[in-house]
Amino acid sequence: MFNLNSWSIVLIATFIIFLVPIGFIFSSLFSGFSENFYHIYEYVLIEYSINSFILLLGTISIAVFFGVGTAYLVSNYKFFGKDFFEWGLLLPLAVPPYILAYVFTGIFDSYGSANNIIRDVFGLPNEYIFFPNLRNLTGAIIVFGFTLYPYVYLVSRVAFKNISGSLNDAARVLGQTRLNAFFKVQLPLIRPAIFAGIALVAMETLSDFGAVEHFAIPTFTTGIFRTWYGLYDLDTAMQLASILLLLIFIFIYFERASRSKIRYSNKSDAMSPKKEHILDFSKGIVCSIFCLVPVMIGFFLPVAELFNWLFQQNFEIDSKYLVSVSNTLMVSFAAAFIGCFLALITNFSARINKSKTQSNINVFLSLGYGIPGLILAVGITKFFTTVDDVLLVDFELFITGSMFGLIMAYIIKSYALPNNLISSGYNKFSVAMDESAEILGAPKRKILQKIHAPLLRPSIFAASLLVVSEIVKELPATLVLRPFNFDTLAVSAYIFASEERMFEAAPSALSIVLIGLIPIFFLNKLIRESKEL
Amino acid sequence: MNNFFQIEKLSQELSGKTIFKNISLKASKGEFIAIIGPSGSGKTSLLRTIVGLDRQKSGTISLDNIILSNSSIHVPVEKRNIGLVIQEKVLFPHLNVLENAKFGLPKNKDSESRAIEMLKIFKMQDLLKKFPHEISGGEAQRAALARSLVTKPKLLLLDEPLNGLDEELKEKLYPPLQDYLMKNRTTTIMVSHNLTEIKKLASKVYSFENKGLIKI
Repeated sequence: MFNLNSWSIVLIATFIIFLVPIGFIFSSLFSGFSENFYHIYEYVLIEYSINSFILLLGTISIAVFFGVGTAYLVSNYKFFGKDFFEWGLLLPLAVPPYILAYVFTGIFDSYGSANNIIRDVFGLPNEYIFFPNLRNLTGAIIVFGFTLYPYVYLVSRVAFKNISGSLNDAARVLGQTRLNAFFKVQLPLIRPAIFAGIALVAMETLSDFGAVEHFAIPTFTTGIFRTWYGLYDLDTAMQLASILLLLIFIFIYFERASRSKIRYSNKSDAMSPKKEHILDFSKGIVCSIFCLVPVMIGFFLPVAELFNWLFQQNFEIDSKYLVSVSNTLMVSFAAAFIGCFLALITNFSARINKSKTQSNINVFLSLGYGIPGLILAVGITKFFTTVDDVLLVDFELFITGSMFGLIMAYIIKSYALPNNLISSGYNKFSVAMDESAEILGAPKRKILQKIHAPLLRPSIFAASLLVVSEIVKELPATLVLRPFNFDTLAVSAYIFASEERMFEAAPSALSIVLIGLIPIFFLNKLIRESKEL
Repeated sequence: MNNFFQIEKLSQELSGKTIFKNISLKASKGEFIAIIGPSGSGKTSLLRTIVGLDRQKSGTISLDNIILSNSSIHVPVEKRNIGLVIQEKVLFPHLNVLENAKFGLPKNKDSESRAIEMLKIFKMQDLLKKFPHEISGGEAQRAALARSLVTKPKLLLLDEPLNGLDEELKEKLYPPLQDYLMKNRTTTIMVSHNLTEIKKLASKVYSFENKGLIKI
């Protein structure tokens, strides 16, 4: 049932606004193909596809190997550093792939820190190079693998934790070794969770622009960007974006389907906690090293190198950096505020109208997290130029290139965070409370203001922080949609890194990483409470 | 043969807390022993220690003249050939009833027919392809019993396996279980707090009191 009132109108308006950029992207497929498209189709599309495929395969392999491996170890064994690794393995989530890419080139290039240190130690001339070139697909796979494996780790860790200890005991009693019990019982049970993690990794890999651009690898995203900014052909860029978006939708579907299976496959009527097996010293050290490797590569190495760069330029911070910080905080808090407000209204609407359709629309709105920033930017630009041409031209106004587009992209991309948190917050208190308020004569708005909003304050606060930390990292949409001369931390790091001015990129990059640590706190809490994701 | 299964001066501590102390128990082949005691008295811990999931603080456990566990020996769980059925439903949720029943058998051409035979004893032949979430609690317990028995364990440990099932269902389960245990002379230890249940099955009854075990 769909009750039309002022609350549900907000929901419908949000739905339409979210849908329009995507609609514009797909509408490009029906507007005919230009010469540029045929050129791309003939000469580079295969290369984009092959590179994207290899990148996906390599990244997923690393993410699954370290994500599932470490999750298994911390879920089943006690070893040195286990308590740290339980949350420490999430740390690379704070490092966006493009920042690890900058750091990798800074460390491993011919004149990078690693080669310099070895040459200095052994007094060797400059022609000695010890590390292979990483500005290629292999380098990109390493970068994506070690920054994105936490997605697989997180879902696997929660899934392992949700397996009753008795199932593992039953397998052992029935003659299976620990290893066999892992392969025959634990692994099949967490398979849907692994697939959900893989889908997230795939979406992030396909969506990335900063890292592949830095390594000069032709993929769909770099192709879209070049077509738009190199060939000045927005329509062909949109057609390429449609192909990528279709691929992303497959992964989104895959992720949602896998999540729904997690509940079924872990269905056990009772839960016995799993007993952690205490490993002897040597085995324990091997496990500690295995867990340390991804955290080292994905977090400690880049953070140490960023501090090194900061140190190299004597911790000098210029006014441009401060402007970037203030710009970033301004847009991210604006998006967080609007996103949380919309999520509050849409969830409130679904609740008071007791409408399944509205709840489903809300779930649909959350899917924006999977849409690549660059594609959103393309869709929003087309949408805004159309509005300018059709509606605003007579008033000599234009919204293309304004802050609206940027904030709109941020809200669509991060809407899942406030929506999910506020929706979970709502689940904690009964509808009977609303009914009591209504019986006492409170109008709907008063129920929202005086009852729901105060009760949901912790969820809204957590959602705001998560949205800010997510937006701070966002690069491609920001790069395309920002108003002229409006630099954020991500854009500033990108510009310095693309000009190989790594030391100057350090303050912005380090700030992004430090702000990116915020979600780790919430995710760690989630693992401890062992909630389904 | 006497003393087919034996525990001597067995003590257990978990997280620094004494669970039981200096327990001794003997069972001949085919014997059915019951242990009673209130919740939290250490019954389940005793079974977990016997099967090898927990290692005892001191004492010896032996089965069929082989020491399974003492201060220097600890035969791993998977090599003890002891069956354990607990009240918690522990069918593997990703496997159907038949696959669950075959789980503990070596992979060969007989394993399927053996599993089906065992499931037939517990009247489960029509549910072979059903998954655990598609069957009732009583059916799941029957499947769990079949899964344990099909491996022909030397010792069967039952941890209130019929708890939570209604009396009618229990009445249906006792006869095939008793028949099978007698026919195969399977030594069995069952813990329970239900005296009626115990009287129907056990030849010897022990009780947990003051962290020790006394024969009643």
